[in-house]
Amino acid sequence: MSEFSDWFKDTFKKCYCEHGNLIDEQRFAEIVQLVLDNEADDESRSIFEQKIKSCVKSNFTFEKEKKIKDEIKRKLCEHKAEMPMNLVETIRKSVDI
Amino acid sequence: MSEETTQEQSARRQNYSEKEKTEVFDGEFMPHVDSMYNFAYRLTFDEDDAKDLVQDTYLKAFRFINSFERGTNAKAWLFRILKNSFINEYRKKSKQPNKVDYNEVEQYYNSDDVDENITTDLRVETVQHMIGDEISGALNNIPVDFRTVIILSDLEGFTYEEMSKILDIPIGTVRSRLHRARNMLKEKLASYAKEMGYNK
Repeated sequence: MSEFSDWFKDTFKKCYCEHGNLIDEQRFAEIVQLVLDNEADDESRSIFEQKIKSCVKSNFTFEKEKKIKDEIKRKLCEHKAEMPMNLVETIRKSVDI
Repeated sequence: MSEETTQEQSARRQNYSEKEKTEVFDGEFMPHVDSMYNFAYRLTFDEDDAKDLVQDTYLKAFRFINSFERGTNAKAWLFRILKNSFINEYRKKSKQPNKVDYNEVEQYYNSDDVDENITTDLRVETVQHMIGDEISGALNNIPVDFRTVIILSDLEGFTYEEMSKILDIPIGTVRSRLHRARNMLKEKLASYAKEMGYNK
């Protein structure tokens, strides 16, 4: 059982009405984050995957969050500060090795 | 996080020879210098401050090298030192005029009803349309403690557990802070897109 097993079950329940329809997208986005960050355990992931197969709205939210996360990550990774040329040398000198 | 007694800590303390110290430093610490500089730059927004912060971190790492166990997570260990140096030294002399009261922000963003006030109406196409500079600009505009979790997770690929150790916060707080941080970033991007007319 992972750190978030109970949190996942409790939160997942609150996302859906008694008919199984997604009613709380904000809360669901928190669950999506856990899944996308690979922090959900196997059982939670399986519950999640089953749901997005059968619920169009859940699947739409998942795909949207995934695409936005991937796009932001990709663009931030491409936009990295260039390390000063002499930094490695300066560090090595400062510790005298 | 697990409690560790002083006895356990001293039992795990290494006693490296000079040669071993150099091996650890070169083999385990130096490969992360690029990531460390990027992290430092995204915290300070200043090339010289970032350079000083990284240099200071490596000096401390070398000084306390016997506290580092070979083969364990050097990157997380270094990031933790850098984060602490930033909080203790660089943040105090920050040139930024508008300081954010972190406790106030965290309290607000951790309250139960916070999501009612957050609009994350950001379209995928809008983000696709933006360039890295614009997204970086939005990230730079969110409070440093929230910016930090995005950098650690999305740019550096740390797990929640590693982030919890780097930041000295419970793992549940990592999860919730990351969610709030991403919502803040989306808000910034959405309002920027609106300003620039990207949504038309």
